Amino acid sequence: MATITVNGVRHEVSAPGDTPLLYVLRNDLQLSGPQFGCGLAQCGACSVLIDGKEVRSCVTPVSTVHNQEITTLEGLPARWAKLKGLSTEEAQKTLHPVQQAWIEEQTPLCGFCQSGMMIVATELLERNPNPTVTQIKEAFTTSGPSAHLCRCGSYAAIIDAVKHAAAIMAKER
Amino acid sequence: MAAITETSGNVCGATLSRRQFVKTGGALVVGVTLIGSELLEAAPARGAAFKNSLDPTLPSSWIEIHPDNTVLIRTGKSDFGQGTTFTAYRQIVADELSVPFEAITTVVAGDTDRTPDGSGAFDFLGRGTPNIRKAAAYTYQALLDLASERLGVPKDQLSVNGGVVSGGSKSISYGDLVKDQQLKLTIPVSGDLTSIFGLRVEGNPPMKAVSDYTVIGKSLPNSIITSKVTAKETWATDIRLPGMLHGRMVHPKTLGSTLISAGQLDKSKFPNSQVVVKGNLVGVVAPTEWEAIQASQQVASGTKWTDWKGLPGSAKLYDYLRKESDWTSAPVSKSNATAGDVASALAAAPKKLSASYQFSYMKHAHIGPTIAVADVKSDGTVHIHTHNQNPQALRGEIAVMLGTSPDHVIVHTHPGAGHYGRSNGGNAGAEDEAVILSQAVGKPVRVQWMRAEDLQWSTQSSAAFSDVELALDDQGKIAGYQIDHYMPAMQDDRPIGAVIAGLPTMPAPEVESKSVTSTVNGLSDPWLYKQVPNVVERGHGTFQVGQKASPIAVGLRDHSMRTPGQFQQNYPRELAISEAAALAGSDAIQFRLDHAKEERLIAVLKEVRDASGWHTRPSPRHDAVSTGSAPVRGRGVSAMFRSGTYWACVCEIAVTPSTGAIVVEKYTIAVDPGIVVNPMQLKRQVEGGAVMGISQALLEEAMFDESGITSRDWNTYPILKMADIPEIKVVLLHNPKVGSYGGGSEAANALAAPAIAAALHDATGKVLRRLPLKRAYVQALLQA
Repeated sequence: MATITVNGVRHEVSAPGDTPLLYVLRNDLQLSGPQFGCGLAQCGACSVLIDGKEVRSCVTPVSTVHNQEITTLEGLPARWAKLKGLSTEEAQKTLHPVQQAWIEEQTPLCGFCQSGMMIVATELLERNPNPTVTQIKEAFTTSGPSAHLCRCGSYAAIIDAVKHAAAIMAKER
Repeated sequence: MAAITETSGNVCGATLSRRQFVKTGGALVVGVTLIGSELLEAAPARGAAFKNSLDPTLPSSWIEIHPDNTVLIRTGKSDFGQGTTFTAYRQIVADELSVPFEAITTVVAGDTDRTPDGSGAFDFLGRGTPNIRKAAAYTYQALLDLASERLGVPKDQLSVNGGVVSGGSKSISYGDLVKDQQLKLTIPVSGDLTSIFGLRVEGNPPMKAVSDYTVIGKSLPNSIITSKVTAKETWATDIRLPGMLHGRMVHPKTLGSTLISAGQLDKSKFPNSQVVVKGNLVGVVAPTEWEAIQASQQVASGTKWTDWKGLPGSAKLYDYLRKESDWTSAPVSKSNATAGDVASALAAAPKKLSASYQFSYMKHAHIGPTIAVADVKSDGTVHIHTHNQNPQALRGEIAVMLGTSPDHVIVHTHPGAGHYGRSNGGNAGAEDEAVILSQAVGKPVRVQWMRAEDLQWSTQSSAAFSDVELALDDQGKIAGYQIDHYMPAMQDDRPIGAVIAGLPTMPAPEVESKSVTSTVNGLSDPWLYKQVPNVVERGHGTFQVGQKASPIAVGLRDHSMRTPGQFQQNYPRELAISEAAALAGSDAIQFRLDHAKEERLIAVLKEVRDASGWHTRPSPRHDAVSTGSAPVRGRGVSAMFRSGTYWACVCEIAVTPSTGAIVVEKYTIAVDPGIVVNPMQLKRQVEGGAVMGISQALLEEAMFDESGITSRDWNTYPILKMADIPEIKVVLLHNPKVGSYGGGSEAANALAAPAIAAALHDATGKVLRRLPLKRAYVQALLQA
C-alpha cells in the first residue's frame, strides 16, 4: 500500500511497493499521458515531473515517491493555472502554454513520445524561460538519464514548439 | 419509421435508391457493392460466408450527410501519425461535396466493423484518387440529382456553395435535401477486403476541377493532435476490458528453437498467475501488469529450448547473400526502362564505374512496443483492440489461425506508436498471441511486448546489395547503365505467435505467392535519367535468410518499411550517379540535369540547388582529405520519383576522419507532389522523414548472430537524437497544372542515405558503399 500525490490529488494505491510508478499511473489511476516505451529509462516516453524534476516513471518504484508532488501530462493545465494564480473557472479553460504551442505548431506525428517531450519542455521552461536552440537540444538529449527519443522524427517541430511556448509564457508573464 | 415510397435510378454508373419516411431522421448513406473477393470465394470451405458488416446486404457507409448539415466520413485507413485521414481526407471530401471543412465533424477510421474498404495505412492519397474522393464524387452527383428533382431545376443549371444547392431562384441545403429520407447510393467496388490493398472504388464519376478547389491547399490543423496533446485520446495502450488479464510472452531462445519444457511457475510468489503453452509458444497471464512481468521472467528462467545456429551473423551477411543465397529460384525482374545495348556501351567506354553497394537490415523500431487486447468469447466471436495499419488483413489472419470465418473476428484500432509499414500486412506482433492466451484462459488478455521482444521478434526491413556497371562516353555522359538488385523476400505477413504455436497461417514467402509476399524482387525505383541511351535494371529475389533452415520456419523475417524496396534500389543508383559525375569531372546536380528529360525532375533539382546555396563544381572537393582530427565538409545530392511526387535532396556534412563521426549540418529538400493538399502537414511529415532517414543512414543496422537478432534496446539499436539533427529546409513546389496530388513524407527517409554517402566522398575523396555510415565503418574506410 502506498500513498502518492498525483496532479494535486492524494491516492492510496494497493500495488506492491516495488511496482514501477508507470504501471500505477496507467493501470491504477488510469492516466493515459505517460506511455510504456522501453522500461529501461532509455527513451523518455514515460516521463513525469516529481517535485518539478523530470523522472522516468518506468524505473521508479512507487514506494520511493511518498510525499512528493507528481505531475503528468494531465496535470499540466493545473500546474500553469497555479503558477499564474488563475481562478478555478479560468483554469478549466486554460491549457499549459506548452500544450498550446504543441497544438499550434502541429508538433506530434504519431504522438506516442510527446507526453514525455512536453514534460521535459515544461521542466526546461520552468528553470529557463528563454532557452536557445542549443539549450533546447541539450535538455532533450543530455540532461536526463537518456535522450528523449522520437522515432517519427519530430525533433525540429519540438524545437519550434518549445520556442513558441516560451513566447506565449513571456507574453502572459 | 415506415417506408412510403422506394425509387431507384442511375447516377454515373452507381445506383441510387431512395426511401422516403414519414418520421424525421434520415441521412444520405453511401454504401458499397462487393465485387469479387478471394476470401469470399474461399469462405465456404471454412464455414459461413463472410460478410463485412458495412457491405452489400447490410447498410454500409463511406459518407453520411446529416439533416443538421454535418458530414461523417469513414475510411479503412488507420492513422499512424500521417494525419491524412483528419486533414487531407476532410479537405478532399469538402471540395468534392462543396461543403466547408468544418462540416465534416466525424472521421471513422480503421475499425473493421465501422469502415468499408480495408487496405493498409500507406498510399493515403491513392495517386490522386483515394477511395474517399470517388465516394464523395458519386455522392455529389446523387445530391445534384435529388436537388434537381426537388427544386424542379435541370441539374446542369444548379450550383453548390457551402453545402447549399441553388438553381433558378431557389435553394436547398444538403441537410434539408436528405431530411426525412434514407438514401442509399450503391457504388461499384472491386478487390479483396482482407488483402493488403483492400477494396477499390471503381468507375469514373465527374470530379471537381482543380481550379474550383477552395479547401485543398490550406494548412488546416490535424484534429487528433489536440486530443493527444491534451491527454483526451484513448490510445490502444489504454484499453482495459472487464476481467482483463495482463499477458507477457516467453519467446523462444533463438529464431529456430523448439520448446523442450516450459518453466514451472513459483505459485508462492505469483499465486494469481497462470502459464499457457501452445506448441512452442509460452505465455504468462496475471491480474496485474507487474505480476505478469515478474512471473514471466521467473518462468522464462526455467524454460528449456533446443539450440539453433542457422544464420550467417551480421559480419558475414553480404558474403552469405552473394555466395549462398539461391538467386535462381525466383524469376529475374526487368524494369520498363530497359533500352539499347549496355554490353556494347560498356565494352566501348573510355571510363567505367564498376561498384557494389550494401544495404543493412533495419528495424521499424516503434517507440512503443506492440500491444493488443483480445477477447475470445464463448460463442467464438473474437474482439481485438490494437493499433494496426491494416485491421481487415489482421481479421483475415486471425480467422485463418482459428479456422473460423472473418465475420467472427472484429478488430478495433486505436491510436498508438508509428509502425512505418510493419503492420501494413495486418500484424505487428502480439495480436495473435493475445487471442491464443484469451482463448486458453477464457478471459480478455492484454499482451504487451517488452522492448527487447519488439526488436528481436519483429520483422525488419530487408537487407540488400546491388551491382552497378556504368559506362561514360568521351563527352563525360552516361553511355550505358546496368544495375542488378539482390534482395530477399521483403514482406512476411505470417503472424509470429501463430507460427511459433504451430497454428495455421498463410504460407511463408515463396516464389509463387498472392499479394506481396513473393520472393520475386520487383523493380520499384523509377528510372530518372532518360537521356541515357542504354539501360538495364534487373531484380533478383530469394527466400528470407534462415527461413528454410529454421525448424520453426522463422529466421530473419522481413517486412516493408518506409519507401520499401525503392529505398534499397534508389540508394545504390543515386550514389552511383554521384560517383559517375565525379568520374566525369562534372558537378553532381548539373550531371543529373544533363541526363534528365522530365520537366518536374529538372525543376526539383534546380530548386534544391538554389535553396541549398549549392556551388557548382565537381566532387570530390579540391582539398578533400581523409585523415586528421579536424572536421572536413562535403555535400551530396539525391533524387527520386515516388507515388506521383518528385523529390531532390542536398545533404551537407562534416566528417571527422580520425573518428569516422559524421554530422549532417544542413538538409535541404525540394518536393513537387503536384497539388499540395496541406502545406503545414506536408512540411511536418517531410521533416520527420528527413530525420528518420538521417538516422537510418548514419546509425541503423539490425545486428544478429547465428541464432537471432542481438539488437535489444536503444543502446544496441541507436536512433538519431535531437542534438544530432541538422538545419532542415523544406521547399514545397505547389504545381497545380499536374492536376493531381502525389504522396508525401516517406520518400524523405530514403533520400538522405545516398546524399550523405556522396557528401562523404566529396569531403574525403573516398566512397563508402555500405549502409549505415556509422563511425566504425567510416573510420575503417578512411584508414584503409
